[in-house]
Amino acid sequence: MRLKLSFEVLGLIALAVLIAIVPRFVSSFTAYELATVGMYFIALLGLSILTGYSGQISLGHGAFMAVGGYTTAVLTVNGVYGHHMRDVWTIPIAGVVAGLAGLLVGIPALRLSGLYLALVTFGIAVSFRQIPLKFDKFLGGTSGKILGLLQTPFGLSASPNDWIYYLTWGIAFVLLVAAWLFVRGKPGRTLKAIRDSEIAATSSGISLARYKTLAFALSAFYAGVAGSLYAIARAYMNPDIFPVVLSVYLVAALALGGVDSFLGLILGAAAIYVLQNRADDVTSWLNHLPHVNLNAQRPGMPDVIFGAVLIVVLILLPTGIGGALRRLFGPLTSRLYSKS
Amino acid sequence: MLVAAFTWTEFAQQVAAGIRQGAVFAGLALALVIIYRSTRAINFAQGEMATFTTFICWSLMNNGLSFWAAFPIVLAIAFVGGIAIERTIIRPVENGPVITIVIVTLGLALLLNGLMSVIWGGGSRPFQGPFSTRTIDVGGVPISVQDIGIVVVSIILVVLLALFFRFTKLGLALRAAALNRDSSELVGVRVGWMLALGWGLAAVLGAVAGMMVAPILFLDPNMMQVILLYAFAAAVLGGLDSPIGAVVGGLLLGVGITLVGRYVGFVGDTLKLPFALLVILIVLVVKPNGLFGRVAVRRV
Amino acid sequence: MLAAAVMTTAAGARPLATPGVTSTQITIGSSVPLSGEAAIAGNVARGIDAYFNYVNAKGGIFGRKLKFVYLDDGYDPGRAVNNTIRLVQQEQVFAMFSSLGTSNNLAVRKLLNDAKVPQLFVSSGATTFGRDYKQYPWTIGYIPPYSEEGAIYGQYIVKRIKKPRIAVLYQNDDYGRDLYGGLRRGLGKKASAIVSKVAYDPSSADVQPQVTQLKASKANVFMIFAFGKFSLQAFNAVSKLGWKPQIFVNDVSAASALMTAVPQNAANGSISIVFGKDPAAPAWRRDKGVRLFQSILKQYGSNIGPRDLQDGYYTAGMATAYTMVDVLKKAGRNLTRDGVMRAATHLTEKGNPFVLPGIVIHTTPTSRFPLTQVKLQRWSARAWHPFGKLLSLRPR
Repeated sequence: MRLKLSFEVLGLIALAVLIAIVPRFVSSFTAYELATVGMYFIALLGLSILTGYSGQISLGHGAFMAVGGYTTAVLTVNGVYGHHMRDVWTIPIAGVVAGLAGLLVGIPALRLSGLYLALVTFGIAVSFRQIPLKFDKFLGGTSGKILGLLQTPFGLSASPNDWIYYLTWGIAFVLLVAAWLFVRGKPGRTLKAIRDSEIAATSSGISLARYKTLAFALSAFYAGVAGSLYAIARAYMNPDIFPVVLSVYLVAALALGGVDSFLGLILGAAAIYVLQNRADDVTSWLNHLPHVNLNAQRPGMPDVIFGAVLIVVLILLPTGIGGALRRLFGPLTSRLYSKS
Repeated sequence: MLVAAFTWTEFAQQVAAGIRQGAVFAGLALALVIIYRSTRAINFAQGEMATFTTFICWSLMNNGLSFWAAFPIVLAIAFVGGIAIERTIIRPVENGPVITIVIVTLGLALLLNGLMSVIWGGGSRPFQGPFSTRTIDVGGVPISVQDIGIVVVSIILVVLLALFFRFTKLGLALRAAALNRDSSELVGVRVGWMLALGWGLAAVLGAVAGMMVAPILFLDPNMMQVILLYAFAAAVLGGLDSPIGAVVGGLLLGVGITLVGRYVGFVGDTLKLPFALLVILIVLVVKPNGLFGRVAVRRV
Repeated sequence: MLAAAVMTTAAGARPLATPGVTSTQITIGSSVPLSGEAAIAGNVARGIDAYFNYVNAKGGIFGRKLKFVYLDDGYDPGRAVNNTIRLVQQEQVFAMFSSLGTSNNLAVRKLLNDAKVPQLFVSSGATTFGRDYKQYPWTIGYIPPYSEEGAIYGQYIVKRIKKPRIAVLYQNDDYGRDLYGGLRRGLGKKASAIVSKVAYDPSSADVQPQVTQLKASKANVFMIFAFGKFSLQAFNAVSKLGWKPQIFVNDVSAASALMTAVPQNAANGSISIVFGKDPAAPAWRRDKGVRLFQSILKQYGSNIGPRDLQDGYYTAGMATAYTMVDVLKKAGRNLTRDGVMRAATHLTEKGNPFVLPGIVIHTTPTSRFPLTQVKLQRWSARAWHPFGKLLSLRPR
């Protein structure tokens, strides 16, 4: 046990070092791309707390990212009583607002078994974009809200791209450690107990409601932080920034990566980035293969591959790629999802 | 005042539009219910399956077939396709956690959506349906042949399905397999194939819904995405395991959102989708089994 | 895949005097929908690409070949931002050109202006792209502003339609509201003739309920300020309700390919504006410009089918590309971003073969609306027929 703990601590330190030195070896634009990967990673971390440790599923995390993004947009552009906040300070607030939204969903979610929760959260993902359209004077409607450009604050000497990279991965690291502590501590153990058997957990005096709601709120907090960072990096927010398909990608990436493998989550985040932003590159790589001749003006092949890989992985490796790797390297008794 | 005042003619036309919309919701909701009954999961790829088969119909018509010549071919393809999907990708995870099945259907949705984009390209395209847009006079109110046709086709389909479930051996076996697997197997029902048959039927229902709605919505790979949420709401409203419920839920929702969107200023067109979500939430909290669902023991 | 993302780092291209310009090549970027509902509008970019290939085959511009990098955004502004950042930072484009969509261009305007990257001839009729040059000196529009288009319809109604009762269907965003505002301005004192207006939301399933509501107002004029499939649905609904109003349909939804797809009993007699040569219109069947367009597309386009040769989105793209080539020539051998902006704002282009005869594309530093002349056209016998003389707009 102690040995394993120190392994994990060493792993975290290695990750910190890696995060710190990567920008030295890549171009400024790559740092910017990696920052975006970091944002998806943060959202996936939140989702893994929800799914991996409380057995709930959310197909609506794109909407919580949007709540975070809009919070940042409103605080920096509209301001509060004419006081425009600096974007960095809005990040925790965005997380809290999204967390509160998660709390709101988490309460009725208690009454819903896994399947119904999937339905409701999917509904949230599909219909959330109507809210900024309805309140378009305040939230900008389809034209969106244009934020201040990404700038390096506090007189630091980093380029804006490096700045957003360090900011994102710094936050990701802190949130990763927080998730790790959460999972190892009492709440995590309790949630695992709930996941494995709600009845047993309830009869041993665990307050089911409190912990499940807490998990939902916490995971929405993570999504909100990720959404806030995304809006800051793009200097733009509108109802389509976090589309329905992103919510689907997040769940899919989680299933692919494996809920309790942090390495798997990073791979999942990278996959989302490629699908959302570099799908054309995938198409042109594929065209280098023999007998492949895809029409670059008909995008879609990356989605076909992703969908197919997802299905195959779920059939063959029910704990995801990350989970399978973990089982290779160390025994870890964990199941992907509870039966619900 | 720029909002047109209330007239009975308009009200009747709105209701007609609502019923037509509801018929489409009902078709897709029915497909969801049939799959729910056989697999205990929700098929998030239902919308994409429907659109895919509609694209096949479009291709056939592009190659010179008339709509009614293409129609049975498409239904056959949908039926076989639905069975094939169940056998190949649902079967291996059938006994796993429900969420795994849900994620597999999400993967299927991504795959099919991408495939449509690769084969047919994006962009809305017109789809020549079987019914003309000409109007006929129904009690002083002009109603289009198209709207009437869609509702009639849906009614025929529901009646056929009801007869199948009630009076054929296969239909009975299918119901039995959905209700109780183990005892069905004991009396010799091949449960595995029954479940696949459920998927086949659902695919057929989706195909009909797609081909009916495409002349109105225009065909593109994302055509059914919004409709799918309404179909979810309809299925939940009627009770996820009740076919009658799906039909009633679909019609209620179709008429409901049309009228609410028209006459409740705050909702308007913008909040129709959140309204459907609200319906889902209220039903789940107040009456989780829906209007017609059986009282189910909550499995924890 | 992370590793792959790292690998794609270009060999740290060192910034040149002018990014995107070498002695042999000019790189130009664009973000357009190639997937999603609006994918057909992506043909604008394919038309541009074909025309640039044609120019390259004839030797390029001062010996430099044009490299046109256009990325798919699915008509989603979020992805348009991603694409633009990538094009500017990684592909090191010289300028952004003809990106499509109002929100998509608004989303990146500040970013491009801050980086002093020209945002040329955006494919959107929002007035702001031509009007707000003091704040955004690196941005310029191309097509006639939507508000002016609305005003033209208003003026026509005042002059030609007796006792108009006007019903308006408009998209609930800047684009729809610009058209509606323009209509009111064009109607002037007759604005009270608007008896009903209903907005629809771009996420709507179907606009039939809205059209039903509009019909109930007993209007005899119906304005379709709707995009793409919603415009098609509106025509459908008109036919399905047995309504027979005079229809006006806004330019971006009036492509011939779309109009032939709707019930003709509703479409016949509809009025719209036109400024480009529509290859499907009988008026231009023997026109030199359209023939040139078709031969270029056949020879230099990729994956071109017979339908594409009749597609007005391609000609629209070529018209813009023609202007762009003019601008690049005018900017001179010593190409800079400043220089290209100067050229783009001092344009007097006559004889663009892809726009209506007589149209002069004209800009000055304080008047940044290149296309300000249009004609009206009427739909009959499955084709558009231009009528009347060239009308001049005065955007403000």
